[in-house]
This record gives sequence, structure tokens and C-alpha cells, in this order.
Amino acid sequence: MADEEAAHKQHRASRAGASAGASKLKKKKKNDRGPSTKQSNPKAFTFRSAVRAKRQQAVSAERQQRKLHVPILDRATGEPPPFVIVVQGPPQVGKSLLVQCLVKHYTKHSLSNISGPITIIAGKHRRLQFIECANDLNAMIDAAKFADLVLLLIDGSYGFEMETFEFLNLLQVHGFPKVMGVLTHLDKFKDVKALRKTKKQLKSRFWTEIYDGAKLFYLSGLIHGKYSKREIHNLARFISVAKFRPLQWRTTHPYMIADRFEDVTAPEDVDANPKCDRNVTIYGYLRGTNLKKTMKVHIAGVGDCSMSAVTLLPDPCPLPSAAKKRGLREKEKLLYAPMADVGDMLYDKDAVYINISDHQVQFSKNCEDAEKTQGKDGDVGETMVKSLQQSKYSIDEKLQQSFIQFFKSSAIQSASDSEADESDESGPEKDDAMATVSEDGRLRRRVMFPNEADEEGAAEGPEDVNNGDSSEDDITGEENGDEERMVHGEGEGEEEEEGEGEGEEEEEGEGEGEEGKEEQENEENEDVEMGNALQWKQGLMNRVGASKSNVNLMQVVYGHVEASSKDKDFQEDISDSDEELFKPKRQRHQASKDTVAANAQNLDLEDCSRLTLEVDDWHNQEVIEAIRDRFVTGDWNKASQRQKGEVEEDDLVYGDFEDLETGEQHVAAENHEDAERRLKKLALRAAFDAKYDGSASLDEENKEVEGPKEKDHFDKLKEDMELQKQRNAAELQDIDATTRIEMEGFSVGTYLRVEFRGMPYELVHHFDARHPILVGGISKSEESAGFMQVRLKKHRWHKKVLKNRDPLVVSAGWRRYQTLPVYSLEDRNGRHRMLKYTPEHMHCIATFWGPLAPPNTGIVTFQNLSNSQPLFRITGTGVVLEWDQSVQIVKKLKLVGYPYKIYKKTAFIRDMFTSELEVARFEGASVRTVSGIRGQIKKAVKAGSGKEGSVRCTFEDKILMSDIVFLRTWTKVDIPRFFNPVTTLLQSRDTVWKGMKTVAELRSEQNVSVPVNKNSLYRPTERQPRRFNPLQIPKALQAALPFKSKPKLSAKRKKPLLESARAVVLEPNERKVVSLVQQLTTIQNDKAKKRKLEQRKKKEAYTAQKAKEEEESKKRRREEIRERHRSQAVPGRPLNKKPRRNV
Amino acid sequence: MKGAQHFRQRLVLSTLSNTALRIDDIRADSEAPGLCDFEASLLRLVEKISNGCGIEINETGTKLRYKPGILAGGRNLVHDCGTGRGIGYFLEPLIILGLFGKKPLSITLRGITNDSRDPCVDTFRTATLPMLKHFGVPIEGLELKVVARGAPPLGGGEVVLKVPIVPKSLTAATWVDEGMVKRIRGVSYSTRVSPHMANRMVDAARGVLNRLLPDVYIFTDHYTGSESGKSPGYGISLVAETTTGCILSSECVAMHSGASELQLPEDLGTQAAMSLLQEIRLGGVVDSTHQGLLFILCALCPEDVSKVRVGKLSSYGIKMLQHIKEFLGVQFSIKPDPATGTVLLTCVGSGFQNLYRKVS
Repeated sequence: MADEEAAHKQHRASRAGASAGASKLKKKKKNDRGPSTKQSNPKAFTFRSAVRAKRQQAVSAERQQRKLHVPILDRATGEPPPFVIVVQGPPQVGKSLLVQCLVKHYTKHSLSNISGPITIIAGKHRRLQFIECANDLNAMIDAAKFADLVLLLIDGSYGFEMETFEFLNLLQVHGFPKVMGVLTHLDKFKDVKALRKTKKQLKSRFWTEIYDGAKLFYLSGLIHGKYSKREIHNLARFISVAKFRPLQWRTTHPYMIADRFEDVTAPEDVDANPKCDRNVTIYGYLRGTNLKKTMKVHIAGVGDCSMSAVTLLPDPCPLPSAAKKRGLREKEKLLYAPMADVGDMLYDKDAVYINISDHQVQFSKNCEDAEKTQGKDGDVGETMVKSLQQSKYSIDEKLQQSFIQFFKSSAIQSASDSEADESDESGPEKDDAMATVSEDGRLRRRVMFPNEADEEGAAEGPEDVNNGDSSEDDITGEENGDEERMVHGEGEGEEEEEGEGEGEEEEEGEGEGEEGKEEQENEENEDVEMGNALQWKQGLMNRVGASKSNVNLMQVVYGHVEASSKDKDFQEDISDSDEELFKPKRQRHQASKDTVAANAQNLDLEDCSRLTLEVDDWHNQEVIEAIRDRFVTGDWNKASQRQKGEVEEDDLVYGDFEDLETGEQHVAAENHEDAERRLKKLALRAAFDAKYDGSASLDEENKEVEGPKEKDHFDKLKEDMELQKQRNAAELQDIDATTRIEMEGFSVGTYLRVEFRGMPYELVHHFDARHPILVGGISKSEESAGFMQVRLKKHRWHKKVLKNRDPLVVSAGWRRYQTLPVYSLEDRNGRHRMLKYTPEHMHCIATFWGPLAPPNTGIVTFQNLSNSQPLFRITGTGVVLEWDQSVQIVKKLKLVGYPYKIYKKTAFIRDMFTSELEVARFEGASVRTVSGIRGQIKKAVKAGSGKEGSVRCTFEDKILMSDIVFLRTWTKVDIPRFFNPVTTLLQSRDTVWKGMKTVAELRSEQNVSVPVNKNSLYRPTERQPRRFNPLQIPKALQAALPFKSKPKLSAKRKKPLLESARAVVLEPNERKVVSLVQQLTTIQNDKAKKRKLEQRKKKEAYTAQKAKEEEESKKRRREEIRERHRSQAVPGRPLNKKPRRNV
Repeated sequence: MKGAQHFRQRLVLSTLSNTALRIDDIRADSEAPGLCDFEASLLRLVEKISNGCGIEINETGTKLRYKPGILAGGRNLVHDCGTGRGIGYFLEPLIILGLFGKKPLSITLRGITNDSRDPCVDTFRTATLPMLKHFGVPIEGLELKVVARGAPPLGGGEVVLKVPIVPKSLTAATWVDEGMVKRIRGVSYSTRVSPHMANRMVDAARGVLNRLLPDVYIFTDHYTGSESGKSPGYGISLVAETTTGCILSSECVAMHSGASELQLPEDLGTQAAMSLLQEIRLGGVVDSTHQGLLFILCALCPEDVSKVRVGKLSSYGIKMLQHIKEFLGVQFSIKPDPATGTVLLTCVGSGFQNLYRKVS
């Protein structure tokens, strides 16, 4: 049937004419529509193979998972600090020019010299801080630790240089910030082809180092000594949209980059001793996390120091106000670069500095006269300066002459006297109104304000000088407010310090507090007894007590009440101070029982967490009713009200009145659940905002691909974090600023002034603004030193392996220090076995002593920090695994002994140990001879019976006197407790930091050759052939052996037998037969040979024939199959017009 | 620092914050000057679970220098607590130190299990350990097993404490909802006395508590033979569980009142029940005994805000707050809630992490 159907005449499409053209068009359209049909009918294009589908799914799932990172919670709220953009590159590559061009682009300001951080406002919500990285390994290490974005400058005409790769490696280890490459010097290429080729090469190398698709800019050349505006504009655009991933180390540690650095040591001290310890202040934006006052900090290149004072300053470069407008106004394009000498005004905690360049300082009498003729008064600042100039005496002199009477009865004191008293006052308050010469020789004058009322006016004066800035008024206003607060804060700090120092007073205060509480409690109890009628009163009392205790509780706990208690103590002390001297100690105790004895009792108070409560009478029904609603059997409504914090216990008793009283509480105490719900909503909104922020980050892109789906673990984690963040913000927002600083420290993004006392004078002397100062906070547990185990790998570009106990400079966390690592590998059984050198291509464990860095911190090591090395300077990279105070690293120890007396299986060994004590340590240890006989150590021989330290051992077999006995054991390796901070900021920048030298360096210096142990050298081994004695079998045994095993005693015949040497002579008949046979055989062989040849020929012909046939049949079969397929496949299509697809 | 007071708080916080500690004038004016045996024992215990710590005591024992080492933890440790104080005295610091060790801690403590001054091991098991789960402590490895009872004065009890390490850090808790008491449970134990004593205490306690809540169940636990320690004694420990998972506890131990007569079991039962009701009345998410522990856990959280509600601040709690500020630099914001007579404490954690843990 089917055949019949197939035989129907097929349709023949027209090959020419209009219809043919139409059909062609149609076909074309159909082909074009390929992908679109796929989308309109997705079901038709699903996977054909389940296996393939599965595999593809697995691949895509894996790719997705690989993109996921553990979310890091960025706890910072409010305005972020300016992002740090580090410009790095080898020398003469155009770093400074790039910074200049970028600054010019952003602020229209031409900078002459680039030194120190330059803060600019790049947008409504974005501030940037440009830092040029000096071409010095130490500066590079520090820069890698604080960079948010790195502009990696590469000389295109030269290619990559070592510095670039070193810096990339540093970045990788210290958390990888964002990196953009910038190719410069491209105008040196004359040939376009060569240029294109070089670009391609450099780009591919750059991509392998960072990631595929990393941004690489091309700065094609200079126009009037600047980069082209268009290219800079593009670069600025990319900078302005760059997103910065929070890095683990930085989100857990606060840090600051010094914007400004001032020496605030009293000038007299410096004059007296130019090398005296200095007090310095460092200014900068706080980054990372919140900084607490008590925290210790590490100044990179100096060491750990504690901050003597931290103060909050108004932001010198604030973001513009949040008014709705597009772009930035010209006035808002601020630039703040105190080290680069651009800003004219500097704000300090208690003063404002005005910089006046030398040619502008022309205040003299003539000048003043000229102005007077103009009839126009100069502004306040100017007049002040002039009046200062007019004065004949310096302030010091004036003070010397002035007198102050402190009290009526007291003697009149001159300032010179009082100064001696107050010599230990803080620095900045003292050096009032004096001119200081800043580090680069500029004259810098400090203006002091007589009082606060004048302050604003004075601050306004210099504003004219600083015509670039806009919101100066705000700043000064803020500053005043802050100052007040600050003063308050400091006062508190002092009080607290006192409290801590003198525990006794604190106890007293606490005792009082408790008493107060007890009283309150008693009152309550009484009230309860009075019954319901008085409950409203009790409520009132409660409230009053609470409002009192609102102030008091913090005081009770954190001790602001010391003053009063101290006074009391003081009085009592006075009262019995005279007698006390003459009384024995014990008596005195009894005498002043309520002070000292009580104190002593407090001191040695019993350490007990249990509190014995005075118990109410719980048999009383009313008392029980009071807590009825705290049980599930009670009234649930009242209980929930209690939770809300509004207790309307008896509406009948006090209705409206209560409402009036608690009016504010209704607002203040929000329902807990409501608050929770609100927070969740906020968190969700924040998450949503983050997701659809225009530039979706990587993980968000995944989600878009997948489409909406149910929340997975990752989403939940993120949401929880966001929720916690919102909760933090909600809790902290209604706490006043001082308490907030006490609770969480200075928040991220604020501008701080940190004062350090007693810093080495070299820090000031060798200060160079081009090397930024990094101040990093360290947590309590990172302050101490200990052993760190680090998984270390020698860098593959470092030529040599690293030697055990050779000094190595390590950069971990904020710190750089030199230490002596001991390398080891962990055996299967957990033993750490020492290595003499690091493995060539493998990780090993390095253990060293040093200031601790938390586990999972990346470290990078160097052997030498000097800049004059042609080779790659990074010797290894690694990660901290563990801390400890003692580490067990062992090395092999082989003790050798010689038998001096052998019994059957027991032998006495000498020279293995030197004393009985040593033997005792190894009793029961296993030993071995060279020939492999195993044994065990039993006991030391008795003193006197053998050599000291001889030992009795037993073996599994009898050993020989010529045997050597080994004891293989392990001995602990001492890890040197040494580290040496790299103090590069305390020396001039062009000197090379010198630390401990390696052994090789010492040897080459001292011209000492490597010691050679003669015994360790290989010599050609001389082996005597071993002679064995003949085997002796006892006669009786011999007799009993079977013949086969018996030793054959007769000697082997040496001469052949006579028979084999005899000649054979044939008979004539025999000879005939033999020759005939021989001939016949020859003929037969020949025939066989011929036959074989013929056979082969035949076979060849046959195979040829066969192959031919096979070929033909194959052809035929293929044709058949084709035919069949054609006929089956497209019945309607003509056979000869098959479209070609396999082209 | 001076004096023997709050020795444990100082020791724990000094160890956690890794700051060396010096205490002068320890009972300098007392008849028996210097460190007591239980304090020395505590020092030995700390030395046992840490590595590289340095302890110096002067001849009279009135001065102590302590340099903390690294918390090592470890398994199969044994410590004899002596009879000066109950095991509860040692458990309180141990549980915090154990959480931040290098390895999980498992230790056998011998001594007095139930004491009138320290929280007894039953309270510790039923009230203290569940508290930790609010701060993200893995609850699986946390265990306290009472092997043998030891009543004062001779002791002879034995408990096994297992504390897991926190993987990285605790999690901040907002724990202000006290809820309503939904059930009351308890353990009434007796050792080396008539087993009837336990039942008598239970009956007395139920008599008080059943007027408020029917769901009261108190286990009786009688010890004989080798598990019963060296002295006779009995006591009761009660816990009230609220709808929001807060656990309030109270306890009473038979004491020698005057002559060598122990208190009546009925009195003990009533007293324990009443002090439990008193705790409930005071409010807060924990009872007065656990305030110190609660605060230290809040302070050890990451730099997030923790908020807790307690009843009246106990003096131990106040001292703990002061010490926390001194050692960890964490200050709490303390606000009384006048409506309920409770106190709300808010703090930003110190960002404490378990840094001794080994990473692979």
C-alpha cells in the first residue's frame, strides 16, 4: 500500500518565473525566521537527549555556584569615605600626569605637585581620593592594603615591568580591589600594525593576570603635555561607575590614610632637644569599621602605638547637599589636598590655619596706610593680623608681665609661674597663636580665637581667601557645636580614667547605687501591700523612679557618681587621718568600720553570681494576682499590652490622667512585632534597591537569567544580613551622639584627628608627603605576639627556594616585619616535619614568631626590600592557618650504637647514649641493625659495669659484632622567637631598610666559604667480593640425606670421554645410501620452495580480486541506502534540487 | 586591680580580651590572706584549658599576675574542684572560655554539685545551656551530664561538661520578649537520705505553683551507691519556661541550719517555688543569676546591636557591665522600662571572633 502511495506523482515546483521567485523569497524568510520560531514555540526546541540536558544543567549550575561569594556585611552607614584610587606604575610612566589630568577634569584645578592624598568630589554621592604610589616596595605594600581602585599604569612602548606584577601579586594577597589598566606612551609607535599587535598582546597578558574582560585603557598620547581630554573623560566615567566589593580584612579593621600630618610638640622642647620624642597628629577619613578610642593602632612603617586622643572634625570636603538637581555645581567641585598645598584653610580641633603664600604676605605699615586712604576697612582676619603686627611685645612677653590673682587670699601669680605648674598640659592648647614652619618650609600661621562669639566672624574672614569652597559657613557652625560636645566627651573620659584607676571609689559608688535601688524596691513592695486602691499611685511612683533612674542607671553602672563618693571619702579621711598614724592596723579597722572595713569587705566580696532575693509572701492571694498575667493561664491581652510597654492596669482608677502622663511613652515604646515587621520591610527594600540599581552586579545577573524563584540559602543569608543592618540602624538612631561614640566608636566616613604622643623624632624628621601614612586599627587579640602557622608557597617567579631559618620580611595585616620562619610539612599522622628548604612547587607550612594576624589573613614575603634588585622581589605568598603559643615541629634524629657484647638475642650497645637518664627517655623504643634485624631497647646497664650510657637491647635474631644499631627518632626544633618591625617611615626614603641578614649574605660579606662536612661527601664505594666458606654438612646428616641432596663428592671430569673423540669410517654401501638420501632431500626441499612461492602469488591475486569486489559492493550498497533515504525523506521534493547545508 | 572580688569575671574577660591582669591586695587584711583554694583551683583549671598562660602569685597569695595564653580546649580533661565552692563556680567561666577555644572542650569536674552559693548543676543544665542557643552557639555539642551527686560539705560529685567551639563568632540577639510562663519543670534530688525527701519537696513546691499554673512537673532524682557522693543532702531546682523560649530558674539546697539538722524539705520546696515566682515577677528574659552571662555574651557578639531585657540589675550584673567596658571596651545603653519594671540593655558587640580556631 505504502509503495503505491509513494508512487503518486510528486509536486514539481516551478523553477522559473514569478512564482519561482516568490517561493525563493518565502524560503529565505523561513530561514531567517529560524531563531524567532524558536522563541515563539519553545516546546519544540527542548533537549532531545536527557543525558545531555542533565549535563548542561549541571554545567550551568556549577557556573552559577562558582560566581557566588560569601556575602560580607558592610556595617557602614551614612556617607562612605572617599574611595581611594591608587595610581601605580613603574617610574617615568606618567602617573603624576594622570593624576593631574584627572584632578583637572574633575575640579578645573591645575595641580603643580602631587604629594599626599588628593580628595575631590566626583559626583553628588561620590568622593574620590587620589594617591600616587611611590616607586618603592614599602609604599607599594601599603598602597595595596588601602586601595579601593587601582589604576595600573603600563608603559605601552616598553611592555610590562616587574613593578606591575609585583603590585598585582600584593593586591591579590591583601584582598583584591578593583584594578583598571592604563596603557601610556602609545605615541611612540609609528607603525599602526605594531601598535595594534602590542595592544593585543598586552591586553591578553593583563587579562590572564586579572580576569577576562578586565578594563584596559589606552591613552594614545600627549596633547600640549597633557593626556587627551576625551580619553581622560572616558577614564573618569569608568571610575565614577566602578563598584567596590567590600574586602574581608578591611571590613573588620578600621583604618585611616593620613590626609594631613602635623607635629604638635611644644617648640621649646624641640628647641631644647631636637631629637626629643614628638607629639604628632594625623588627620584622615576613617574607613573600614568603627574606631574605638581604646583601640591600638598600627602605623605602617612605624609600629603599634596607642592613640592619646581622637577627635571628630567636620568634613573638610563634604558632599553637596542632597537637593534634587542634575550634576554638580561649579562651587561644589571641592578639592582637598593639604599635603599638595592647594587648600588655603585648614581646620583643626581648636584652631584654623590660613595659608598665605609668600608673595601675598605684604602686611606692613605702608600697606596699611594705603588701605586707610581707601577708606575701606579690611576684614576681621586681616585687621587682627595687623594688630598683632603692631604690638611691640610678643604674647609670651606680655604674659610674663601680666598678673592674675586666683583667690582673694592667694598671692598674685605671674604667668611664668603658672606655666611651670601646667607644663604637663596637653600640647595643642598650649602653643597658642604661634607661627609654625611646616615641613616644606612654608610659613603657616595659626589663628586663635578669643571667644566663641568672635569665632564665626573670624572664620568668615578667611573665607574670602578661600574662594573655591562653598559651604564654609556650615563647617564653622558645625565645628563650634562639635567643639562643645568634644569638651564634654573629654571630661567624661578623664572621669572614667580616674574611676578605673581607683577601684575603691568605684565600689563605693556602686554600693550607693545599689542602696538606691534597694530603697526603690522596698517602696514598691510596700505599695503592693497597700493593695489595688493605691496601684495608680504606685504606677506614678514607678514612673518617677524610672525617670530618675533613666539618668541614674547608666551612672550607677558606669560610675559618674564617683565625685560625690570621693568627697565623702575625702572628708572621712581628714577626720581620722591624725589618729591613724598611731594606731595598729587591726585596730584602725575596727575604729573606722564603715569606711575601710566596708571597703575591704567590698574588695574581697564573695564572687557569686546568685542573688538572694527577698521573697514576697506568695501565699497571699493578692500578691499572686499581681503576676497572674505573666502565665499562660492569665489574661493574654494584658500580657501583650505589657509587652508593648503600655500598662493600663486599671482604667477605672485613672483614665485620662494616665494618658496624659504616658503620652510620650505611647510614641516611644513601639510594639515589638511592629518594629520587627517594619525592619523587615526596610531590609527588603534595601535588598531590592541593591538588586535593581541600574548596574546589577554579577550575582544579580544570574538571578535575572533564572527568573524569579524561591529563596535559596544565599538569598536568605543576604536578607538576614540586611535585616541586622537595619536593626542596628534603628536601635542606634535614637541614642545621642556621645553615647553612640562610646558604644560603637567613631563611625566610618567621619573625619578624625588622631593624636599620638611620644613618637620617635625620625617620623617627623623624615616625613615625606609622597609616601602616604597608613594608620590601621588592630583588635585586642592581634596585639600580642605568638607563633603563626602559615601555608606558604614560594612564588613561582622567585628563582631560588627559601632556606629554613633565613630571615624573611612578612607583610600580614597592616604590619610588615622581619622574622625567622621554620618550614615544615605535615605527615600523614599529623607530625610536622621540618624542611631544610621550601619545596619548589608545593605549599609547605611556615611557622614563625610575630605579632598575630587572624587566621585566613593573606601574607606575602620578601627577602629584600631594596629597589635595586633586577629580579622579582616577592619570594612567597601564603595564608595564616593557626595561632599558638607553642608549636611542635620535629626533625629526624638517628642515634647510632655499636654492640660490644652479644648473647643469643640480647646485645649490649654502647655509644648510643651518654647517660642513664638519656636511656630512660628511650626505654622501649625500637632499634634496627643495618641488616634489618629489629629490636627494642630494654634498660641501661648498671653504672660501673659498662661504659656510661650503654644499653641492653633484645633483637629478633642474633646480631653480628660488625652490625651497627640505629635508633630512629624525632627531636623538637626550636623556633626562634624573633621579629623585627620594618620601620621604613623612621628613615629617609632613599635609604634601604636594613634588617637581619641571611646566612648567605653574611658569608659573602665575611668571605667565608660554606662549611663542608667531610663525612657527608660521597666517595666511590669500594666493595670487596665476599668470600663464602664451603658448606659443611655433618657426616650423620649426610648419611641420612637422599642421594639427590647428598653432596656429590666425585669431582667433575675435565677431559672429554674417549668415545666422543673417535672417527667413524663408512662402508661403500653405506656411503652410497647416505649420499642418495642426501640428494633426495635436496630435491624435496627445492620442490617445497617452489610450491610455496606459487602459493603466495595465488594468494596475492586472490586478495586483490577480493578487495575489488568489496569496493564495488560497498559502492552499490551506499547507492542503495542513498536511494532509499531519498525516497523516504522528502517525498514531495525533487531529488536533484537538494539544498546544500553541509557547506 | 584590687581585691578578690569578682575574680572570675576578671579572669574570663582578661583571657578573652588577651590583656594581662594584675590583682593586688587579695584579702590583704583578712585573717586568711591571699587566694582561697577554690580560686587557686580555678587558676589551675584555666591553665589546663589554655596554652602558654603565665600565672604568678606572690608568697602570701595576695598578689596575682596573670598573662593569658591561647585557649586550647581539649578532650578528656579532668579537674578536681575541691570543696571550697560548688562546681557551678567553675562552670560559669568555663562555658564562656570553652566556646572560643581551639578545639571543643570536654572536661570532667569533681566536687560539690549542689551548693547554696553557686548555681547547681541542674540549673546549669536546664537553664544556662539553653540560653546560649539564642546567641548562635551550636546546641549539638553542648552537654552537661551529672555522673554523681556531691552534696556539701564533702562533695564527691562528678559532672561531664562538653562545650563546642563557635565556628566564627556568636550572633547578635534581640531578645526582649519575655513571653508568658507556659510550663514549669524542675529536678528535686536527694542523695544519701531517704528518697521520700524528694517527693516532699516536690509536693511543697507544687502547692505554691499550682495556684498559678497546672503544667508543673518536677522530676525526683534519688542517688544511691557510688553515684551519691560523700555527704547527705537534698535540694530542688525549678525552671519556668515561657512562650518565647526564655527560661527562668530558681533553686534551693538543704543547708545545715544551726545544729547539724538539715532544713525541712517542705520549707525548701516552698522557698524554691517562691523565689521562682519572685524571678517571674521581676521579669526579664533571664533570671537574676544569669544576668552576667547574658551581658558577656552580648558583648562578645559581632559588631551588631544586641538588645536584651532583664529584671532588676543585680550587683553581679552591674560589676560585669563595668568589667566588660574595662576589658572589651563595650558600653551598654541602659534604659529602664517603667511600665514593666524591667531594664532594657542595648550594646554594640565587640566584634569578638574565635581566632584560635584552626582553618584548613
